[in-house]
Amino acid sequence: MMRDLIPGRFAFGKTNLTLPTILIIGYVILAADSGGTLLSKQALRGILAYLAVPIIIGLAQMVVLAIGQMNLAIGAMGGATCALMATLMADHQIPVALALIIGLTFATLLGVINGILVVITQLNGFIITLGTMTILLGVQYRLVRSFTVDKYSSALQEFGQQNIAGVPYLFIIAIAVAAVLSLYFAKTASGRNLLATGGNAVAARLSGISNVRSIIKAHLISGILVGVASGLSIASLSGINRSIGGDWLLPSFAAPIIGGVLLSGGTVAIFGTVMAAGVVRLVDVARAQYSLDPSWVNFVLGIIVLSTVALSEWRKRRAEENRITVRA
Amino acid sequence: MTEPILTAHNLFKAFPGVRALNGVNLTLLPGTIHALLGENGAGKSTLIKILTGLYQADSGELVLAGRPFDFKSPHEATVAGIGVVHQERNLVPNFSVAENITLQDPPRSFGVVNKRIQRELAQQALDTLGVELDLSDKVTDLSVAQMQLVEIAKALVIESKVLLLDEPTASITEVEAEKLFDVCRRLAAHGTAVIFVSHKLEEVFELCDVVTVLRDGVSVLESAKLSEFTMDQIVDFMVGRQFAHRIVSKRDIDRSGTPALRLSGISTSIGHRDVSFDVYRGEVVGLYGLVGAGRSELARALLGLHPIISGQLELNGKAIRIKHVRDAVHKHGIGYVTENRKDEGLFLDFDVRTNIAVTIWQKIAKRFGRISVVDEDRIASKYVERLSIKVSSTEQLAGQLSGGNQQKVSLARWLAAETRILFIDEPTVGIDVRTKAAFHDLILELADQGLAIVLISSDLPEVVALADRIVVVHGYRTLETIENDKDYPTMSKRIMTRIQSMTKAA
Repeated sequence: MMRDLIPGRFAFGKTNLTLPTILIIGYVILAADSGGTLLSKQALRGILAYLAVPIIIGLAQMVVLAIGQMNLAIGAMGGATCALMATLMADHQIPVALALIIGLTFATLLGVINGILVVITQLNGFIITLGTMTILLGVQYRLVRSFTVDKYSSALQEFGQQNIAGVPYLFIIAIAVAAVLSLYFAKTASGRNLLATGGNAVAARLSGISNVRSIIKAHLISGILVGVASGLSIASLSGINRSIGGDWLLPSFAAPIIGGVLLSGGTVAIFGTVMAAGVVRLVDVARAQYSLDPSWVNFVLGIIVLSTVALSEWRKRRAEENRITVRA
Repeated sequence: MTEPILTAHNLFKAFPGVRALNGVNLTLLPGTIHALLGENGAGKSTLIKILTGLYQADSGELVLAGRPFDFKSPHEATVAGIGVVHQERNLVPNFSVAENITLQDPPRSFGVVNKRIQRELAQQALDTLGVELDLSDKVTDLSVAQMQLVEIAKALVIESKVLLLDEPTASITEVEAEKLFDVCRRLAAHGTAVIFVSHKLEEVFELCDVVTVLRDGVSVLESAKLSEFTMDQIVDFMVGRQFAHRIVSKRDIDRSGTPALRLSGISTSIGHRDVSFDVYRGEVVGLYGLVGAGRSELARALLGLHPIISGQLELNGKAIRIKHVRDAVHKHGIGYVTENRKDEGLFLDFDVRTNIAVTIWQKIAKRFGRISVVDEDRIASKYVERLSIKVSSTEQLAGQLSGGNQQKVSLARWLAAETRILFIDEPTVGIDVRTKAAFHDLILELADQGLAIVLISSDLPEVVALADRIVVVHGYRTLETIENDKDYPTMSKRIMTRIQSMTKAA
């Protein structure tokens, strides 16, 4: 179904089937080697439930990559938002729904602030979000200090465990968000404008597109997605402390980059990002299965990301060379 | 009889859709100043890029100081002794004059740059040029003319045997130009061969000994003694008889009503003063002026990129204000086809459909900003057909098209947006002669259909062939509007005299 949402070749990474194939083969090999325990409903549920957050943060990064920028503050924004929501519920007895809304609004605002700062200073999002990241890490620490906040709504945590026909709610939410985002980029003027800014900002400007709006929108959407990821995080975890979000940054880049999004901007690949998040999740599953040291995950992930970037750069150059020789 | 320092024999070079060089010969003698002339698109810049190692010729022979060469990179050309001063500056802004002059090969002792020798070398180079500059000044603090001298000094330090100056006087004053000419003469006296590229014939006649003229990729006049020709003869070589006198009949323009766009006494934040002209529906108005006259900048200001600070702007008789490009494009129907289609016009990695539809998304969006890909494709296909753009499908990437087709795509975008006033900036630069003629027909056809067109071009024959009226622009001002009688010799003379009178006054 996701494939149908992605039309032809408009600025989207080609929907190729490499990633789904890797995902399936990898899963089958791991499952076979585990003696079938990985095929159990419970194991599958666990895999999918903990896939929700990586998908959303991958998409949060992808939106900013689409305008040719980066959001280094993704983890810190998520951490601060989680800490805010958890303390509101645990220390101030704010109802769950309200706390979630406040959290989502907070994350969105952080995104808007990033966007506005980029526009005002005309610096790359890289530098701006490096700054906001540092500030937000401080905010997160002020909120939870070195404690673990766990006395918040058990209803929320129960929700995090529920599923329909073995598919966790959390995963369904992540896929629904991905579908909406896909529609946004494929079918709305606003999404197209954003991609045009990423593809060639000067050409976009001369065609009457406001790059200022595109930049703010990209960071705003990134903020919304971080808000969603924070909500999902709280629901799937038993407590919030200052380490939440600390391990979000690399996966947030890994998913879109492996998924086929160019660092230079102008492309999105929602299907690819979702699939790549799955592959990354598989690496983690393998680590658990063979009781490897967690540092192996980062090691493998780092290598995958580097080789993907190198490979896509090489492909791009070859395509350009072909372009030149074909036309000559 | 001195041996030539550099010879080029029968050079060919093709690009997608264009034969840039189609048989070029050049013989360069040491101690001479050699003018390289030709109109835009004649192949000058391709030849320069081959001589300096940026491009490689498809075929032909190149000999430097008796040895054949085929540079694979600019570095090889530099090492072999070909120095070049490009139109764009190639200096490190935060480095000092001395550091920049010795940039290619800084003097080292024990692996560390030796500042003392560095300054000595730089000073020697400046002395040879006969110019005074403070060696420790940062390049950012210099004037354009001074930067040029630093670049020439840079070429001297590496003992260039050939020095190539690409339109060195385009952005400097008359007095500075005179100083530059003295430097050139000094270098020639030292035995350096100077290649001087310029559009300004007066200065070419003042400075150069030898001339080569390119037209449509062919050297139509090869290393000839300049003193044996008159300026008119040289122009004939550049323009080509048949093209200069190409007959385009006068068109009847109804100018009884209100103009589609009228500017009166417009000043802009980027320095335009007292700019006034108008353009009617169905009319082509040419903006002609030298490089740097402020024509493209004016179009960009009217598109909303630079604020208009005073004067009256009227659209169909109604005063308007343009705050954003959005206003100009969506509200007032003003469009701009940029001269730099690869960097500023097209989304090279996007398909043709997106490249055309980019201006109409706002318009075709339904509820919730939704756009239908079918609508989008229908409109894009319509203009692909109407402008006969050669594509395999509307999903072909814009970067894969030839120059002429790319130009049509950037034009189609504005037709799709139902633009009423279209600024077209240097539409045929880098496009071969046949496509150029087809593009000219297209512009006239669009005007016949009621579009008001402002044509910006440095190609005088093109302006005279297409425009109904010609606005002469100089120094960010409009000098006068001339009714074009489409007779090239009289029109070109009249326009050039008008511009010359201004440059002399300044």
